[in-house]
Amino acid sequence: MNFSLNKKAAVISIIVTLACVVVSFYGSRKLQNFDPALIAYLFGTLFALFGLVYRYCVWLQRPPTRMYFKRTWQLVFTRSFLVRAFTMLKDSIRNLLFQQFIYPRGRKRWMAHFMLAAGCLAAFAITIPLTLGWINFTLDPATALEPGMTKLYNANFFGFKVMSFELGSVPAFLIFHALTWCSWLVIAGAVIFLVRRLTNAGLIASQTFEGDLLPLILLIIISLTGLGLNFSYAFMKGIAYDFMSVTHAIAVILFLVWIPFGKFFHIIQRPAQIGAHIYKQEGKKKGMAVCPHTGKEFTTRLHVDDLKIVTKEVGFDFTLEDGTSHLDYSPEGKRSLLAKAHLKARQEGGTFFG
Amino acid sequence: MEVTAYRTNMEFFVDMQRCIGCRACEMACAECETNGQESMIHVNYVERAVTIQTTVQVCMHCDDPVCAQVCPADAITKDEFAVVHSANTARCIGCSNCVMACPFGVPIKEEKYDMMMKCNMCYDRTSAGKKPMCATVCPSQALFYGTREEISRMRPNSTPVNTFIFGKQEVTTKVNIMMPKGSTHLKIH
Amino acid sequence: MATLPVSPEKIIHHFGPHLNFAPQEGYVGRDEPDATVKTHCCFCGMQCGIQLLVKNNKVVGFEPWMEFPFNEGRLCPKGVQRYLQNNHPDRLLEPLERVEGEGFKPIAWDNALDRVTSEIKRIQDTYGKNAFALLSGVSLTNEKSYLMGKFARVAVKTANLDYNGRLCMVSAGAGNKKAFGLDRSSNNYADLEHAEVIIVTGANVSETFPTLTHWLWRARDNGAKLIVIDPRVIPLARTADIHLPVKPGTDSALYGAMLKYLVDHDMLDHDFINHHTTGFEDTIAAVKDYTLEWAETVTGVDKEKIRQAAELWGKAKTSFLLHARGIEHHSKGVENVLGCINLVLATGRIGRPYCGYGTITGQGNGQGGREHGHKCDQLPGNRDITNPDHRKYIADVWGIPEAELPGKGLTAWELIEAIHRGEVKGLLSICFNPLISLPNNNYVREALEKLEFYVCIDFFLSETARHADIVLAGSLHEEEEGTVTTAEGRVVRIRKAVNPPGSARTDTSIILDLAARLGEADKFSYPNSEAIFNELRIASKGGTADYYGITYKKIEDNMGVFWPCPSEDHPGTPRLWEDRKFATPDGKAHFNPVAFREPSEVTDSGYPVVLTTGRVVSQYLSGTQTRRIGKLVGIVPEPLLEIHPELAQRYGIRQRETVRVTTRRGTGDFAANIVETIRKDTVFIPYHWPGRKSANQLTIGTLDPVSKIPEFKVCACRLEPLGVFTQPGETIAFDSI
Repeated sequence: MNFSLNKKAAVISIIVTLACVVVSFYGSRKLQNFDPALIAYLFGTLFALFGLVYRYCVWLQRPPTRMYFKRTWQLVFTRSFLVRAFTMLKDSIRNLLFQQFIYPRGRKRWMAHFMLAAGCLAAFAITIPLTLGWINFTLDPATALEPGMTKLYNANFFGFKVMSFELGSVPAFLIFHALTWCSWLVIAGAVIFLVRRLTNAGLIASQTFEGDLLPLILLIIISLTGLGLNFSYAFMKGIAYDFMSVTHAIAVILFLVWIPFGKFFHIIQRPAQIGAHIYKQEGKKKGMAVCPHTGKEFTTRLHVDDLKIVTKEVGFDFTLEDGTSHLDYSPEGKRSLLAKAHLKARQEGGTFFG
Repeated sequence: MEVTAYRTNMEFFVDMQRCIGCRACEMACAECETNGQESMIHVNYVERAVTIQTTVQVCMHCDDPVCAQVCPADAITKDEFAVVHSANTARCIGCSNCVMACPFGVPIKEEKYDMMMKCNMCYDRTSAGKKPMCATVCPSQALFYGTREEISRMRPNSTPVNTFIFGKQEVTTKVNIMMPKGSTHLKIH
Repeated sequence: MATLPVSPEKIIHHFGPHLNFAPQEGYVGRDEPDATVKTHCCFCGMQCGIQLLVKNNKVVGFEPWMEFPFNEGRLCPKGVQRYLQNNHPDRLLEPLERVEGEGFKPIAWDNALDRVTSEIKRIQDTYGKNAFALLSGVSLTNEKSYLMGKFARVAVKTANLDYNGRLCMVSAGAGNKKAFGLDRSSNNYADLEHAEVIIVTGANVSETFPTLTHWLWRARDNGAKLIVIDPRVIPLARTADIHLPVKPGTDSALYGAMLKYLVDHDMLDHDFINHHTTGFEDTIAAVKDYTLEWAETVTGVDKEKIRQAAELWGKAKTSFLLHARGIEHHSKGVENVLGCINLVLATGRIGRPYCGYGTITGQGNGQGGREHGHKCDQLPGNRDITNPDHRKYIADVWGIPEAELPGKGLTAWELIEAIHRGEVKGLLSICFNPLISLPNNNYVREALEKLEFYVCIDFFLSETARHADIVLAGSLHEEEEGTVTTAEGRVVRIRKAVNPPGSARTDTSIILDLAARLGEADKFSYPNSEAIFNELRIASKGGTADYYGITYKKIEDNMGVFWPCPSEDHPGTPRLWEDRKFATPDGKAHFNPVAFREPSEVTDSGYPVVLTTGRVVSQYLSGTQTRRIGKLVGIVPEPLLEIHPELAQRYGIRQRETVRVTTRRGTGDFAANIVETIRKDTVFIPYHWPGRKSANQLTIGTLDPVSKIPEFKVCACRLEPLGVFTQPGETIAFDSI
């Protein structure tokens, strides 16, 4: 990994982070709706945002990524945008929201991942706006002072009321305990994965602690302490509340800070899969590449042409003497060419053996 | 990858002219625990209409892996033993850049998983000090895993070569191909 | 009534072949098996060592057995996938009874066995003892082979017992007995290592014995020259020093011409010929006209290539000659074998380090199975059933009067003919799928349909078993203890890894139970397989295949013992004839004159193309086991017709076009694979498949007069492109009916 500062990425990420600060400042009605208890989380979130954007920008500057990024938007915006947007939406629901591509690798695997992803994404959707002060809940002033009246709660977004619900009602129960539901989902998913990672010989051989096990452990700690906070408050008269709140905060902040660098970055990367799908679909329409050795189509011409550019950008030049490229050959063709070259060398050497 | 018994004196030696196309390696590869029942090794006829020649291809584990370089998702990594690992399942977006850019035609796009998979030199076995499954079962020693001393004793008239020339590009690898004695490289084009 | 009780589709629906695949991430428990069992692969004469992983009485995987000396962990695709025959959905779990119109219904063991014994008695009482026949097979262990021989003669009291080794290497056996007085590969394969010249003829080693390739390549690493004789450029031939693409059915002409060349150029070991052989003069007289020019016209091989091969062979100091079914499956199989042996004897290169000769036995126990008496003319220890001394010895071991020991019976193919003639009315078969493996199998099917009673012992409902009245659910290779003898003559231990599932029983217990019900319990009371082996040791003592000195413990301690091993302190005999004392009555090796003659069916205007058959690497014999293993089927999903582009062009056949192949016996449709790696006058079809994809609908039942092996490897056919194109494997489910 290159540790020298990427200026472009730094500038963009600073701008985005500052923009977020500004939006949050005004969104929380000049900090009026901001919950000071969440100050540590706020800084964690801002740092994560900075890191994410920085990492994302660095990532996009890598030649293969840039090529895909560029091509995707080119292809999306050329013609019949609506049709493509619809396809993308469908694909996103299928593969980003429901992670359908995992299903063929194993039903249990998919279930676990879906629970984990749903829990995490929902928790993000709730906690980040809360932390930034974008969302807050207030007791409806009209009902607050009236003793006999059912208390109404308002949910506000950027200070604007978006809905209200009765205290003690089902929506209230669901909303106030939303993070509890997320925690259970995350725990269930993470435990399934953890068991898998501790028992499957293939995974044991190829996983790393910090890359594969630690993220799961972290998620479990966050969820458990999060649940614990609630439990302690509701049933244990606050016993161990401080311990849990500190542990929870540390784990969450660690998690946030780590998103850009560790396994969780894949959450940000995954939408690129949709790009890859479009690239393939649109590439097909433009024509397929035919392997000069096998005589069969093997990928899109667009793909081969782009790879010739990308490989050069990353320091490889597979151009052949006659101006064609080794990349014009299919994988099977490449293997056969190697075998033929080897056969020739062996024949010229006079013996196959010894 | 923490605790490992990887034996650094062991190397992979390939000689596709010894290949008899039996596909024992292909069947055995699927028994490797890192890749489920998918086979990562390639056996194919070179040009069946005119010859019975088959070739066998494992990942060559390039010193500077093209697959990793062209991966838009940073999904492919090389470890401290110079083993180039299969795509990180969390990251791989199934774009097939690696499949089409690998000069040896190694990575496989598993369409059903929308993901790339490739040979990781049976990491579950090699990291435990065992030989890769394919090289263990290969009945013709087209695939051999052992020390340099062993191979030079068994095949004194051959030289392991790990430099390959594809037009303007030279690629060096961890895996060796057995060539006539004194060879320094294999020029494909 | 041995017709199918219901439609084949219904039978296939219930009993397969269905394809077995391991679960996506392998079977549960593979990482922490209950047991790791060191045994052998069941799929060919190499008998590669393998370790089976067992969990909860199921074989869940394998681990290479690195220490076993022959293969040191190496395996072929069949070996790797062999564990999937266990745990198989098609596995027969209980005895079955044929019910007309309904199929095969479960039946209690007692009822099934009683039915079998009462039918045996009824048929024998009505038509005579020999009207009930048995067919056995050499994928069975030595113990079971021995037991089948004894069961037929002592319990069923019939002369008509033969085995599928009759379709395997009997020509080699007969040839070896004539020349050396003993039937075993003269050397173990380690002697290949420093052989200067190796001839491999009629042996597609890299597909049928893949793990033997290692030893050939090792020899070549040490500088050996390889001569391959085969109508096709088989994988071995591609890199061979000399490939002689012989026309099917002309092998003996080629060997004759090579022998004449050796004689003309005095490349002979006169000392060896004079002192240790007989018959040389007659033998060279038989080939005196076999010039290279003549050989070229007969065999279709360039005479210069024949000369080079003869020259290499003649000048070598050490050598090894290997052959297999390619030269043995002929109406002159024995002559072909003798032609090879003549080349070996003329140069005297035998009985010394790196000087070897041998047939490569195909079946799992092709060697041991052909020595211990489940062959119509043989008694244990490779004794002769017509020899009074041999008869007496075995009758004593078995505790019966010699007069009660039946004589020589009919061979496998002759039994089929006898069924057609109405002489044989009842049949018991085990480990044999003649509907696929016998030639002219439409004729075989008609025979099965004529039987009054047919009982089959099997673990899957094979194509032949579908015709049975009673099917007894027997055991797999990994479900019983025993020994087998590898193609090298090494006796090795087969280990029981799991118990038979459901109410299936071991083959041995079924046979013992039947013997008891036939009133011979006292002669068939063995507590375990080792007890059978210990009786076999005595029965083989003093015979040519002498196992007396081999014990289970000795095999385990040494990872195999080579027979002959006449006493317990004897180390076994990896290399024969080092003392130059051959096992013939005169103690000498015998040359045998071989004059060339044409195969039984030659091409003519009606059937202008030569048809030859063989195997593919991913299938084993009749495919009862391997056509049920998903990935093996995936490698070669269907038999293809290999045809040269020039021949294809003559008939307007295109790549993958369905071609109708017709012989005087049958018709089959096969997709064409147009390749330059076959002779221009010959087409090739692998034989592992049933029904309309069966190559053996086409082959001819002409027998070798001595060995009685059918002529699988050559007949005449005609070709007709049908204009239909299919995807690989697309038609097989339907066509296999």
